Amino acid sequence: MDHRFQVSLRGVIDLLSHHLYSSPGVYVRELLQNATDAIRARQQLEPQATGAVGLELREKQDGGPPTLLFTDEGVGLTEEEIHRFLATIGESSKREQLEARRNDFIGQFGIGLLSCFMVCDELLVVTRSAKGDGRTLEWRGRHDGTYDVRVSEHPLDAPGTHVYLVARPDMVEWFTPERVRQLAKHYGGLLPFPVRLTAEGKTETLNPDGPPWRRAYETPGDRRQALLAYGREVFGTDFLDVIPLRSEAGDVDGVAYVLPASPHFNAKQKHRVYLKQMLLSESAENLLPEWAFFVKCVVNANGLRPTASRESFYEDTVLAKAREALGQSLRQYLMDLAHEEPRALQRLIALHGLSVKGLALDDDDFYRLVIHWLTFETSLGVMTLADYRRSWPVVRYTPTLDAFRQVARVAAAQGLCVLNAAYTHDTALLEKLPHVVPEAQVAPFSSADLPQSFEELTLDEREAVYPLLRLAEGVLAPFRCAVEVKKFFPAEVPTLYSSDAEGAFRRDAERAREESDDLYAGVLDGVMAGTGGQERALLCLNLHNPVVRRLAAVEGRELLKLSVEMLYVQALLLGQHPLNAQEMALLNHGLLGLISARLDEGGGGGSSGPGSRGMH
Amino acid sequence: MADWRQQVEALRAQAGELPEGDAKVRALEEAVRLVDVHGDVPLGYELRDSLIDAATFGGYPDKALVAFAWCRGQQKKDPQRFDPEDILWKQKWVVGRLDEFPHISRKQIADALDDVEQGFAKLDAGRRAALKLRYQMARDMGDTAEAERLWEEWLVAPRDHLTDCRVCELDDELDHHVDKGEWEQAIQKAKPILDGRQSCAEIPHLTLGTLLYPFFKLERMKEARDCHVRGYAMVAKNREFLSTVGEHLEFLALTGNLSRGLTLLEKHLGWALEHASHRDRFSFYTAASFLLGQVVSDGRDEVSLRLPRAFPLHAVDGGYGTGALKDWLDSQARDIAARFDARNGTKRFTGLLARNEVLATEARLFPLD
Repeated sequence: MDHRFQVSLRGVIDLLSHHLYSSPGVYVRELLQNATDAIRARQQLEPQATGAVGLELREKQDGGPPTLLFTDEGVGLTEEEIHRFLATIGESSKREQLEARRNDFIGQFGIGLLSCFMVCDELLVVTRSAKGDGRTLEWRGRHDGTYDVRVSEHPLDAPGTHVYLVARPDMVEWFTPERVRQLAKHYGGLLPFPVRLTAEGKTETLNPDGPPWRRAYETPGDRRQALLAYGREVFGTDFLDVIPLRSEAGDVDGVAYVLPASPHFNAKQKHRVYLKQMLLSESAENLLPEWAFFVKCVVNANGLRPTASRESFYEDTVLAKAREALGQSLRQYLMDLAHEEPRALQRLIALHGLSVKGLALDDDDFYRLVIHWLTFETSLGVMTLADYRRSWPVVRYTPTLDAFRQVARVAAAQGLCVLNAAYTHDTALLEKLPHVVPEAQVAPFSSADLPQSFEELTLDEREAVYPLLRLAEGVLAPFRCAVEVKKFFPAEVPTLYSSDAEGAFRRDAERAREESDDLYAGVLDGVMAGTGGQERALLCLNLHNPVVRRLAAVEGRELLKLSVEMLYVQALLLGQHPLNAQEMALLNHGLLGLISARLDEGGGGGSSGPGSRGMH
Repeated sequence: MADWRQQVEALRAQAGELPEGDAKVRALEEAVRLVDVHGDVPLGYELRDSLIDAATFGGYPDKALVAFAWCRGQQKKDPQRFDPEDILWKQKWVVGRLDEFPHISRKQIADALDDVEQGFAKLDAGRRAALKLRYQMARDMGDTAEAERLWEEWLVAPRDHLTDCRVCELDDELDHHVDKGEWEQAIQKAKPILDGRQSCAEIPHLTLGTLLYPFFKLERMKEARDCHVRGYAMVAKNREFLSTVGEHLEFLALTGNLSRGLTLLEKHLGWALEHASHRDRFSFYTAASFLLGQVVSDGRDEVSLRLPRAFPLHAVDGGYGTGALKDWLDSQARDIAARFDARNGTKRFTGLLARNEVLATEARLFPLD
């Protein structure tokens, strides 16, 4: 015959209380959940049934631990169901079946009741099923895992379930009227049927009004005030605005609150979520699209599946659709702002620009609406994209801060407006521009594009700098760097070193190669062989610069060579390009050479000092 | 002096806030260069360590490799200072993608694999991780018999701290079943991932793409559609998933959603044009070529597309002949296949390309709109 594992109930309860339940207070949640499921099941049988839940605290005259009587007007349990649900924990053959019926009722009745053993040693469940023969049954379960069932001597008048919990002496603090009221309100404050608490001779309804976002208000202004007040009560924050949320998928509704300060990028906001109007979580995360981190929300969902931890929902298709619909609600709000209150939208952009940009990336219509209002740093100051495009036909941008720094000063001096797109989303946003606004032109800009804007030399100047140019070309050939002489501003800048992004990466690879062993040096060669763009870097000398002008007149080849080498290294360092080993050697020898040349001049020593021999 | 350090920290913080992708990689590269200018080796190591992650998960395997090679050099020079364990974990990522560069020889790949194994052996761990790496390399390079043998060995090797997480391993197992046409088994194994019970950095992103064809073959179209809708949204913004985007493209072509397919082509061709992984380029071009083939069969000679300027056939007015477009995509795929097959000494990539002809006979209308 089949044998069964003996599972220690005590052990299971210990496990649950340490790993599944955050505090003993969840016993109230689990009882409310069972009651809710039972009432829903009853309503399926009798659509006119309204249902109600009662919590009654009975103090003992002798000062002993109090009893909590928890009643519902739900479907009740038949004897077979008692055995099945109250005494079977996580039995696998029933799991699938329960899963299939999840939307109806009885979630995890047995597991739910188990949580009561965190606060009491014995449970009495008195129940009469709406489906059965009218008998009232009593189930008495004990924390040692034993239970018995019998027909009750005190039959109930109507179908429903009464649960009696006698507080364990060390757990009486979970049975005070204040605590029970607070817990029941917390978990069941939005339930669609009355939840009543009777204690100390008084009865009160804990959930008189239902979800505040479903209530009717006199005016939109009243509604806004009431909902903002609700937001303050729930999150303790004064929010800027409130946005209605609705999704058919997952049957979700609620409100989103606009945060009063910029959150951390992609910060996961913790939302308060009700499942079928029972509090599920105060820290649900994956409910909104990624970009929507500028709001916190309170929602009820009737058709989403929570994960076991109850902190988020299962990533299934329904959730994906619900997320999209909720995103649509937020998008609609922003679209309306853009049309009706553009100033408010601008304030929102100032505060929550990253969210707005994130949505604009996802959504072409929204992009079209807001892109021209976004502000950017440019080589000629901060401006909106609209301002930029009014003055310059092509939007030129640098994708990194480094690239921007390299060009900003020189570009500004030539009157070129270059936009810094190094911040989050900016490059992607600009690259999207021609896709959405067909006549727009955008082009990435780097130091390599600058020389095109520089002034050409006159014929005389060409002749004058020719020897310098030829020599410099020879000197820099081993560094795969071409040379040009042009005139540009500001005049204090003697040179401009430029290379494209590919070139910078090539330099990175060279440095890695120098540091690595044969195996990886070979592998790196293989990788780099596949990349295109063998374009050489360019050193552009500025003839407006006095030093460069004087250099063009120098005749001594050694000094000229040394000077070009040093200008090259200086240009690299100014542009924050790390030196490779060869360039580092150039710097070291060059410095000594210059000192030595200077000493030769001043000290009047021979022309073949040790320094000039030190050069190669 | 403090100034450049502040700049580096600002860049690092900026990168920390960014999602995986171009911008994050660029910020870290910039920080690394700044540190190199000032010759701070330990900080350069730290930042490259982050750069390896960002480049690996942001679709720049070449940049991950360069950063890794530098770190490895430093680590060998100063093993006291730089912990070998950390870099061994990342070495798996880097070596696992060497085969995607056709210019890297078979010998170099074999040496790099041996090198991983020796590194692991010094720690007396990582056998399972090394076997998976070898299995995947053999599979990707078309050494079918070797892959089969390594598959068996991999699955029985014990897990340890160098083994990839269970979810990632599970996802890797699926390829084997899909290769063999074991659709049911692939789907069944993937159930915990599909249900959303298990996930990782790139799972279920990859999985949902992998299962499109199995669901299609089994005519479970509702599930196929779910995989597409959920999955595409997860991969649409990160070039790391170019190959998975290719799977979605193929699915759209198979089901006659040609307009949607062309939209994907518009959005992602730019990635393919410059992607460092030629394997990923190949997957994308092959799928795109199949899509254009379907568009041609549909009797359409011309389409209007917004393709990137860098595209060699770029037309300013956006009008493209479908035949010419297909030919170009085809030639790209064929060219890469030829280089891979020559390097590998197998016919795998030619075979993958030929699969398009089979797909054309299987296409079946299933409108998503």
